[in-house]
Amino acid sequence: MADLIGGIPYFILEFGDELVYFTPYTITLFLLALAFTVLAIISRPEKQVDIAFGGDAYRAKETSLSEMRFRRFMAIACGLASMGAMVTGDIFNFTLFTAMVGITNVGIVAAVKSPHVQDAAYQYGLVALSATVPLFAGAAVYAAATGSLSMIELMKGTLPAVPLIGKAMLVIGVIGEGMAPFYAAKAEMFRAPGAPYVIMCSLSSLLIFLRVVEVVMLG
Amino acid sequence: MWGYYSYGILVVMVAAVIAFLALARERDDLHKLLLIDLVEILSFGVIALLGTDLAEALILPGLTVGIAELLALSQIYCTKEGIRQNTITGLNIEVIAKADAPMILSIILVVYGMILSGFTGGAVAGLGLVVLFISRSYREDMNLLEMASGISWALWIFAFFVFMFLPEYWFAALMGAAFGILLKVTVKMSLVGTMWGEQHG
Repeated sequence: MADLIGGIPYFILEFGDELVYFTPYTITLFLLALAFTVLAIISRPEKQVDIAFGGDAYRAKETSLSEMRFRRFMAIACGLASMGAMVTGDIFNFTLFTAMVGITNVGIVAAVKSPHVQDAAYQYGLVALSATVPLFAGAAVYAAATGSLSMIELMKGTLPAVPLIGKAMLVIGVIGEGMAPFYAAKAEMFRAPGAPYVIMCSLSSLLIFLRVVEVVMLG
Repeated sequence: MWGYYSYGILVVMVAAVIAFLALARERDDLHKLLLIDLVEILSFGVIALLGTDLAEALILPGLTVGIAELLALSQIYCTKEGIRQNTITGLNIEVIAKADAPMILSIILVVYGMILSGFTGGAVAGLGLVVLFISRSYREDMNLLEMASGISWALWIFAFFVFMFLPEYWFAALMGAAFGILLKVTVKMSLVGTMWGEQHG
């Protein structure tokens, strides 16, 4: 267990199927997700202003209170899903949390009444939905090859090695939920007004990618 | 080396390639959504190939997440395309609306569903109610049904807590869970389709 990228777990909570553990690596990611979720809860949203190029004219975009409330709720849900993905010790739970991050990312911008944003959110949603195929399949290959989905068991090194295809599928699935090269569809969504909620989209993708790096190096 | 599992994986992979090819060729947004739903089923195929209880337990949350994504995307599609009203009002066929057959069929299904109990029972009983609602062009306030669904879900969760913390009362928990999920699935299934006719202000 000495050459683990995440370090030795400080704390392991085993509660039936639910397995949660904190290593120096995951606790850092967890705290980052927590800090940004708190930020999304307490901060006031921005008001986007369009400035006409080459002139003094500007136009403030109006966003309704109900829309902002919905987006804040989605940003908080996204933060919670990210936190779950950071601390879970179960491969399948990790994939579920990742899929949830995908949905909430779409949700954060879905309430915006701009056709561009709606269209981009829809296209990104299609990518995220198709990415669940390699994501769940990757977890299934983990279970088929090792007979366990527990990251703690994988850490011990006593289980059979996980085939490369399983790891590759897991990584492709996570990439599909919002990393490059699929990020192109997502970048369009950022036309939506409303920092800090939009930032949650980027942050959650970054966090789950950092986590999957740790996960694939376990088995 | 090539066991049933490997052949199964091969079949699913070929199916996945075909499905993704279809997806790449499709240009219509709505058809893309339908194809994505088909593609997603393949991921459950891979999980199901494990052929254990674990696989069954994994498919359910996977399915839930998949349906949640599908619903979210459908909602975005409706907003994007400006689809506001849905004028589905049941079958509206006079003969069916007045005949006794739908009522008898739904009673048989509901009773059989109660005997089965659990998920399967809920689905069968729910189907019975769907048959009735569709044939009768049912118009009622659905809030009560939604509340029943919520309460039965809470009962189901509570039963799980009993399993975890008070395992000696497992029989009561089993009955609670079976009853809760029966009601929950029945109500949820009967709500499918019947709420479309609602006019949202």
